[in-house]
Amino acid sequence: MLQVKAGDLDKMGLLFERYHRPLFGFLYHMTGDTQTSEDLVQNVFYRMLKYRHTFTAEGEFHTWMYHLARNVINDSYRQNKHSMQHYAIENYAERVGGGLTADEELEKKQETEMLQRAIDKLSPEHKEVLIMSRYQELKYEEIAAILNTTEGAIKVRVHRAMNELKKHFLKIENGSKAHEL
Amino acid sequence: MEAKLMNCEHASEMMVDWLNNQMPASERAAFEVHLNECPDCQKELKTTRQLWEVMGNVALSVPKPSDNLPIQFYTMLETFKGAENKKVKKTAFWDDLKYRLESFFTPKLLLRVSYSMCLLLIGLGGGYLLSRQQTPDYQGQIKELSTQVQEMNEKMMLTLLEKENSSATERMKAVSYSKDIESVDGKVLEALLSTLNNDENVNVRLVTLEALAQMADNPKVREGLVQSILKQDTPLVQAALADVMVKLEEKRSIKPLQRLLEKDDTDVIVKTKIKETLKALSYRV
Repeated sequence: MLQVKAGDLDKMGLLFERYHRPLFGFLYHMTGDTQTSEDLVQNVFYRMLKYRHTFTAEGEFHTWMYHLARNVINDSYRQNKHSMQHYAIENYAERVGGGLTADEELEKKQETEMLQRAIDKLSPEHKEVLIMSRYQELKYEEIAAILNTTEGAIKVRVHRAMNELKKHFLKIENGSKAHEL
Repeated sequence: MEAKLMNCEHASEMMVDWLNNQMPASERAAFEVHLNECPDCQKELKTTRQLWEVMGNVALSVPKPSDNLPIQFYTMLETFKGAENKKVKKTAFWDDLKYRLESFFTPKLLLRVSYSMCLLLIGLGGGYLLSRQQTPDYQGQIKELSTQVQEMNEKMMLTLLEKENSSATERMKAVSYSKDIESVDGKVLEALLSTLNNDENVNVRLVTLEALAQMADNPKVREGLVQSILKQDTPLVQAALADVMVKLEEKRSIKPLQRLLEKDDTDVIVKTKIKETLKALSYRV
């Protein structure tokens, strides 16, 4: 990235190859839509080019990348006030589990769907840290750097988010069982 | 010790860290000890882990971005580069120039440049002083040379004029040298006047008259010319002299001209000429 900053814009291609998959994953978890995520990936890389002078050697590149990604998501939320969080629950469910028995597959689908609904019930802050921690497998330290806070604060936030999620998940699970009965 | 102190609340806080594999080894050991002794926490961990695993499935289920994404990205990159280049080109020239000037004039170099400028100035000043000393010398030499040339001319003329049985052409040449002499006096003037009065060839006398007329600023020349009027016997020279008198507006020539007019042997054409001359001269009084 420092080379890009120094004017070697071709090096941006290298960064794209290395980071666009995890970035896409993050945006997909946050928005739940493939097309939107692709647009946002593009947007993030455009901002990297445009604001390359703001990148400092001190920070890690992917910390900076998540930083820009969060801004892009916030901007996009602001533009489409109708949240796009509810799109793609079915999409998830369909892709989960291959090579399982029909029963197992069905169970997994249901679990995934319930989880997704539970996650959507979380506050944005909780949802974000869970996605970063569990889906993106970022360390607390890294999340803290992205969100500009301390590692301890992130630890607490993840713990609380997880408790929230559990609560929602169990409620949904019980609800659906009650429904089945 | 720590293991016994850990309560369920604390353990619950650590579950995610444990699943996440993000905890220091000491904490990890303490947590695992507590977990072994506490069925409640085991139960809680089970549900948390279940959820954690479902989440893991979700994490793996992210679709691949479409093939359009890289294409769009590289198109965007190229466009951006294009736009950037334009911008860069505009500003780069001056920035580059400024940068080059700044990097060029390092203090060290500045010292060197000023030092060499000083040397150059000293050289120029010295050269100027030297050349100024030499210039008057040249001028003096030129003056000397030109006076020498004039003297040569005078001598040439005199020898040619005074030489016995020299040809008319030679004498005319001698007279023409007088044009190159700046101030005519003494011997040269004498020689010219005697040529005007006594030379046997009319043409030589006419050329001499012409040469003398050009020197008429000199009062001695004028006097000689006026005196010469009565000494001439050829009508051609007489008429020419009369013309010169008109041109010079020489009043002193009126008397000798009148006398020439009264002479019987004066040519008729010359007489009419003299009359016209007298008229012109007296008219201008």
